[in-house]
Amino acid sequence: MPAEMALQLRDVVFRYLENGKRNILDHTDLDVAAGTLTVIMGGSGCGKSTLAAVAAGLYPENGGYLQGGDIRLFGHDLKGLDPQKRAAYLTVLFQNPDLQFCMDTLRAEMRFCLENICVPACEMDKKIETAAAELQIADLLDRTLTTLSGGEKQKAALACLYLLESRCILLDECFANLDEAEAKRLLPMLIKMKAAGRTLIAIDHKADLWLDYADEFILLQEGCHIAARGINRQNLTQHRSDFDALGLFYPLVSAPCHAKGQADSAPILQFRGVSIRKGLPQKRKWKREVYNTPFLLQNADADFPAGAMTAVLGASGIGKTTTFLSVLKQHPYSGQILLQGQDIAQSKPRELYRQIGIVFQNPANQFVTQNVEDEVCVGLRLWQPDMPEDACRSKAEELLERYGLKRQRKYSPYMLSQGQQRRLAVLSVLAGGQKLLLLDEPTYGQDAKSVDAIMGHLRQKVEQEGLTVIFITHDKALAGQWADKIYHLENAALTESEEP
Amino acid sequence: MLERWNPTVKAATVLVCVILLSLEYLISLNLLVLGCCLLLVVFGSRVSIKKLGALLLPALVAAFGLFVMGLYYAKSGSGQAVDMQALSAMPYAVRAAMSQNLYTALQLATRLLAFAGLGILFALTTDSDFFIASLLHQCKLPPKFAYGILAAFHLMPGMVREYNQVRTAFAVRGLKISVFSMKPVFTMLVNSVRWSESVAMAMESKGFCGTAPRTYYTVPKVHPTDLLAAALCIGGVIAGMLFLHY
Repeated sequence: MPAEMALQLRDVVFRYLENGKRNILDHTDLDVAAGTLTVIMGGSGCGKSTLAAVAAGLYPENGGYLQGGDIRLFGHDLKGLDPQKRAAYLTVLFQNPDLQFCMDTLRAEMRFCLENICVPACEMDKKIETAAAELQIADLLDRTLTTLSGGEKQKAALACLYLLESRCILLDECFANLDEAEAKRLLPMLIKMKAAGRTLIAIDHKADLWLDYADEFILLQEGCHIAARGINRQNLTQHRSDFDALGLFYPLVSAPCHAKGQADSAPILQFRGVSIRKGLPQKRKWKREVYNTPFLLQNADADFPAGAMTAVLGASGIGKTTTFLSVLKQHPYSGQILLQGQDIAQSKPRELYRQIGIVFQNPANQFVTQNVEDEVCVGLRLWQPDMPEDACRSKAEELLERYGLKRQRKYSPYMLSQGQQRRLAVLSVLAGGQKLLLLDEPTYGQDAKSVDAIMGHLRQKVEQEGLTVIFITHDKALAGQWADKIYHLENAALTESEEP
Repeated sequence: MLERWNPTVKAATVLVCVILLSLEYLISLNLLVLGCCLLLVVFGSRVSIKKLGALLLPALVAAFGLFVMGLYYAKSGSGQAVDMQALSAMPYAVRAAMSQNLYTALQLATRLLAFAGLGILFALTTDSDFFIASLLHQCKLPPKFAYGILAAFHLMPGMVREYNQVRTAFAVRGLKISVFSMKPVFTMLVNSVRWSESVAMAMESKGFCGTAPRTYYTVPKVHPTDLLAAALCIGGVIAGMLFLHY
């Protein structure tokens, strides 16, 4: 008897625009056997997340058009299942930890889940307590969800899915917004669920964490066609070329180092006794600000060399982003921050932003137009207002081509995938021609090809145009690969180190 | 105590009292209602005085504004006519104060305060989740709306954070934005739409379905004491309307 299939897609065609030419899922066939841990990998924008939403029945109900095909969960046709029945077969853990809850505490959220599947009220408390004990998350139950860290939120969301007792859990890049330590704390929970007989399907762009646990890796190419499958830890080496052909991170191998180590040039940005507090002053007494929040950075000195790439490494939530905001005068600090020897306290914000550009963690926040090409043009125009229209357009197209976004140039920036959005944000800020670029987690949720494209492009700018890049990241490999100088942010101190 | 009063009954009571008060022009009744509300909030709930003050202050400012407006600009002649000729030697402020307008102004201002008191009574002593749960069961609000409202409510702090981030991002990209600029609002709203989609999908993935039957952990009930409290409040206002004269 053949193994039972948890998920079966037959000739599925799905697109976002009814009359659009591009099918996101283009006659996709996919089978995943029950009781396995399967990792699905693919380049950013290849439709992995769409595949997840379609398989879970969330699309086309919430957007897009399913043109044809047959989707079965454990042999049941998806069309015949309403959300309530679907939850018994398949639930999804999403990428963004902030957007998975509708109640204010985990306990309330868990009750909401149990209510959804019609568990009698008298059994709820017992089920919640049991699940919390099994997953060791009893301490999260009554904390307000907005106060949890990203990793804790993902744990909480996973606990809800565990409680629903669905037979298959689909993980849509569930580690994408977590640092390595947090991801490693989430992983044992997943392994436990697999041991309990659940099927796990993980969509990810990095294989490393899954390597020891996955039964199979499936590589997807454009249109969600299977490029290679049946890959596991044993035969991984034979599939190296498949990973490289699709531009995916090949696990186990450290990427070539591109750093030059010119860290001895004159510093462009200097910290002298800089202290930064978490949050804003709570109250004022006698016109003096009274702080009762902890230090993120205390009495720190640092030199960021010009014409080089510097990495600031640290766990999430430790204050890396806030430090950047202080450099941009958007967060109070004490001490001195010097840009090219001048105290930034004395320069006007607008002057400052002519010299410093920043790309934020959530790129969707910095788009100012409704069109990808315009977005780049705005960046170009801002610094060269007299640039002719044609030249601007062709320059923008050239840049888009380089970042692999040319085909999407008429799209709204909000229609791009998360990875594409980040590339566009880097691109549109770089178009301004600033001397110093701050990058906040430049590679979150990106495949190897896109990371290489962005960092390689920046490296080139650094070497040819003398650009200075400071990037903050939790990814040690990335820092080791690209940074000429590395700072660790730990215990409110910035320490320079050779090792990432 | 007030926190446990069934929110739907509480809301209905407050609404009926407001309608009743708007039919009458009794300064004493208005002040009495305000006093009762404040006493109830202070002694009958766990609300901090600070919070109460923070809400009452704008109401007082608004009431003062209405008072001044009523005093100087109300159409006179609603009561006994005052011989304005005889008062012509007086300063304008005194003339105005001595006219019928003073009474009108007081009526308007105290009414606003009474409304504020009732509003505060409801707003400060009602838990949002309990209110929604009560609407679900007592008013048969469809679950889709109820949980949608809850989800949106819990997203609010995130939206504020997002708005500030967008403003920073815009400023840092060298775009001039004024305090009233709609561009960051637009970006925030675009993001919010995406957020709401994501949250809706997460809820659906957790088995939430607007139409299928569901169980409830707690079902808020209307107890006789809830109705008694409502009857006391409304009865008090009606009694005031009947027996008070100014």
